[in-house]
Amino acid sequence: MKSHKINMFFGRYAAFLLRWRWTAIALFAIVLVASFLGMSKMVQQTSFDDYFIEGDPMLVKTNEFKANFGNDYFVGILTECDNLFTKENLTLMRELGEELLDSLSYGDKITSLVDLEFMLGTDDGMEIVQIVPDEIPETGSPEMEQIRSLAYSKPHVARKLISQDGRNAWILVKLRAFPSEEEWKQTSNVSPDIVIGEEVTRIITKEKYASLHPKATGMPYVTQQKSVYIGQEMGRLVMIAAIICILVMLLMTRSLRGIVCPFLSVIGGIVITFGIAGYTQMYVDSTVLMIPAILAFAVAIAYNIHIFSYFKQCMRRHGKRKQAVVETISEIGWSVVFCGLTTVISLMSFMVIPIRPMKCVGMMSSLTILFVLLTTLLMAPVLLSFGKDKKPKAGIDGEGGTRLGRAMEKLNDFTFKHSKPIVAVFAVVCVALGIGLWKIEPAFDIERTMGKAVPYVNDVLTVGRSELGALYSYDLVMEFENEDDAKQPENLRKLEQLEELVGTYSLTKRTNSILDIIKDLNQTLNGGNKAFYRIPKTEEEVAQMLMLYENAGGSEAEYWMDYGYKRLRLMVEISDFNSAEVERELNDIAKKTEEMFPGVTVTAVGNIPQYTTMMQYLVRGQMQSFIISVLIIAIILMIAFQSIRVGLIGLIPNLMPAIFVGGFMGWMGIPLDMMTATLIPMMLGMVVDDTIHFFNHSKLEYDRKPNYTYALRRTFRVVGVAIVTTSIITSAVFACFATSACTMCINFGVLAVIGILSALLADLFITPLLVKKFKVYGKEKEC
Amino acid sequence: MKRYFFLAALLFVAAMQLNAQNLTGRDIVQRVKDRPDGNSRYAEMQLTLVKKNGDKRERKMVSWAMDEGKDTKKIMFFTYPGDVKGTGFLTWDYDQSSKEDDKWLYLPAMKKTRRISGASSKTDYFMGTDFTYDDMGGRSVDEDKHKLLREEVRDGHKCWVVESTPVDSREIYSRKVSWIRQDCNVAVYVEFYDKLNKLHRVMTVLDVKKIEGFWTVMKMEMKNVQSGHSTQIVVSGPKYDIKVDKSMFTVAKLEKCL
Repeated sequence: MKSHKINMFFGRYAAFLLRWRWTAIALFAIVLVASFLGMSKMVQQTSFDDYFIEGDPMLVKTNEFKANFGNDYFVGILTECDNLFTKENLTLMRELGEELLDSLSYGDKITSLVDLEFMLGTDDGMEIVQIVPDEIPETGSPEMEQIRSLAYSKPHVARKLISQDGRNAWILVKLRAFPSEEEWKQTSNVSPDIVIGEEVTRIITKEKYASLHPKATGMPYVTQQKSVYIGQEMGRLVMIAAIICILVMLLMTRSLRGIVCPFLSVIGGIVITFGIAGYTQMYVDSTVLMIPAILAFAVAIAYNIHIFSYFKQCMRRHGKRKQAVVETISEIGWSVVFCGLTTVISLMSFMVIPIRPMKCVGMMSSLTILFVLLTTLLMAPVLLSFGKDKKPKAGIDGEGGTRLGRAMEKLNDFTFKHSKPIVAVFAVVCVALGIGLWKIEPAFDIERTMGKAVPYVNDVLTVGRSELGALYSYDLVMEFENEDDAKQPENLRKLEQLEELVGTYSLTKRTNSILDIIKDLNQTLNGGNKAFYRIPKTEEEVAQMLMLYENAGGSEAEYWMDYGYKRLRLMVEISDFNSAEVERELNDIAKKTEEMFPGVTVTAVGNIPQYTTMMQYLVRGQMQSFIISVLIIAIILMIAFQSIRVGLIGLIPNLMPAIFVGGFMGWMGIPLDMMTATLIPMMLGMVVDDTIHFFNHSKLEYDRKPNYTYALRRTFRVVGVAIVTTSIITSAVFACFATSACTMCINFGVLAVIGILSALLADLFITPLLVKKFKVYGKEKEC
Repeated sequence: MKRYFFLAALLFVAAMQLNAQNLTGRDIVQRVKDRPDGNSRYAEMQLTLVKKNGDKRERKMVSWAMDEGKDTKKIMFFTYPGDVKGTGFLTWDYDQSSKEDDKWLYLPAMKKTRRISGASSKTDYFMGTDFTYDDMGGRSVDEDKHKLLREEVRDGHKCWVVESTPVDSREIYSRKVSWIRQDCNVAVYVEFYDKLNKLHRVMTVLDVKKIEGFWTVMKMEMKNVQSGHSTQIVVSGPKYDIKVDKSMFTVAKLEKCL
């Protein structure tokens, strides 16, 4: 289609819209109200288990693990006081534990010093004792001293529940299995882990427990805290973006409708998208929800600036309002739609990444942009059409141009005058940054992604690095051939060997398995003799000891040995998280266990293997989504400009953000996380807009007068100003992210600005050179 | 004669009416507690534990019990699965609450009898099932406050519906509602609610029979509706007032196994 034919189509659309403008307003209002109603049905999720898509091998393994060993999510509370062994502190500990168990929606079992009863071997049998009796003795009494010595009498119990100095204690709340997503969504729009996180927060922040300084950890708490933090951050960032939007539009348009239009576009984009998400019960991850929200501001400002800028030029020329609207949409409409569609397609490329939050970013962002675009095309012309006509006002060049336009023309002249040094500088910078691309590392741990400056992250890290807590863990499941095999002493010894092997790795902090229970029972049944703290000799002994354990009310065994006695679980808590190191250790353990135990299947599950799998997906997925968006944008450019050459040349400046952003990440050690992974394809979708405006207008000018120098100068004057201003404004909007305390938001903001500005530089200094050098619209003609 | 019969009938009806009007929740629960079960008894039991994912564990056992005044002596042996066969528990339950029960355990694999002292929590689950020791009949009437809610027909049987609220707030349930059959004083359906007043467990008696004149629960199921775990207990061959010697309930017998 020729440019002028497309423009005519948009012109007809604008004329039609102005005839029906009140109907358009009513229609928009109805859609908005319906969407508001839908928004209330929106369910936000941030649970780590929800990250994997259905059928993912890691999800299948995790679900199988949960079916065999129960929920691997827990709530851990670390308390701190000068001395735990006082009547007041033990009483408070008990109250806290009881309240947690009674008030947590999925609370199953509590383990803490004050709730613990264990078996002690005696000369003629065994004694079941409660470490802390129902009636807590007075501080300093001999009974209290008895409690202290009992607490430390079993080292394998003490090391999990109380610190050596008696200042810290650990309360562990095991949770029962959560209902499936389909089940809980029928009755609630809050996921079970968030519900638990809220309940934990409410309890531990009670004044009565303040002297215990309780700090929580565990995935439900971390997820809920993250959700709250991100929600607050989102509100703050949207507020800043809104202020920037008001200031910029006020400065640029000096009119109320200049502010109202982009706001309506943002509201339309966000509300309609969120409404659809509510009605369709779409998976919405609150962590990445900031991206579509801020993106909506960025593109809404950009689209409206293009429209307002051209509208003002028209008004200056002839002052006839409705005619100016029709001319504006006729001239600018296609490039705005084109820009919008390329951004939408780039964002949709995230759909190929098999991680649900990434798919969510893709879906939510592309829908948001689509509705921002539609709202802009619907409401901006309508709002601009209201009001009186004005007298024409000639610009300094008598054609409606401005000083800035002239300045852009000068820049164009500068570019052509210094083309060689410009190309050389770009080439050197690109090579240097290109090397950095290979240094990018993915990361999923909260320290590197969220950062210690976020208060809840700091608390969780403090708990994780304390003597009793652990930040991350993984589970190794040994699966034997037949049922009852897990009770065989030789297989238990294999588990012991595996435990010893894992213990030699530097990141291992603590291990837990059925062996603690079995060895303890063996010792207890043999008069408490420490020499019997070992695996019994026969399967019958193991089976009967476990029977005794169950009979005495023990329920821990089923966390470590499955119902069919076919699988054994080894939980490994690690002291710190270093993605590369963890991956190396896990691979090494997997390899060694395969060699050590032929015929035994050893599977790794838990948050660490999930992290490493997710990181692999992210790296691969980001690459795929980048390639897809590059290809699709190239094809779109080729079709739109009906030229393979234009498509390919148009791509060159748009690869700059990828090189600049990727190179910067690599050299600066910025990790690839859930937010930064979205940047490169997103940048591609956004910055290509400027190239489209540039090509679109230069083609139009070239069609009018087939002379490259003339066409490019005109292009610089007409769209150059808009390109520079939109880039600066979009950068300012994205820079909001840098005001956050959260590392990945800061990185996202800084990198987005780098990406946008690098694309701007490429459009100003490289694109014109390429257009002229390769004569993309054909050979020049004499007019 | 006719006159006496009429008088007796009148007295019976009056007594019944009085009963219906005056029975409190506590009275009804006391009736359940006091249901006759002979001076000695024998039964075989099969426990089937089912996890949410369908995995099962099966256990079989035989048990003998004998009352000695207000005290009770019990001996129990596992017969299935093979690796726990012969494991036995001997218990002397004393009515006097201040006196600690005597318990012994025999593990045939170790050929050792161990005396167990100290008390495990009564709210603990019995043998890894969904029944607590209290649910198995160990709970005293006055450990709960009882309230008769209504009378209604359930599965063709007239029942009292009684709500029981624990006196001690540390119990695992906040309240339970029992449907107690009026003809046999058996709680045939019980709903247990957790501390958040959400339904936690449901006990259903699937079969009640009168054996040798004693009402006996032959089959019952407890389902934890929150975790999806359930336990079925099937009783077979129950016998009452059996001839059993005191020597049956000794450590020596425990060590001889079955």
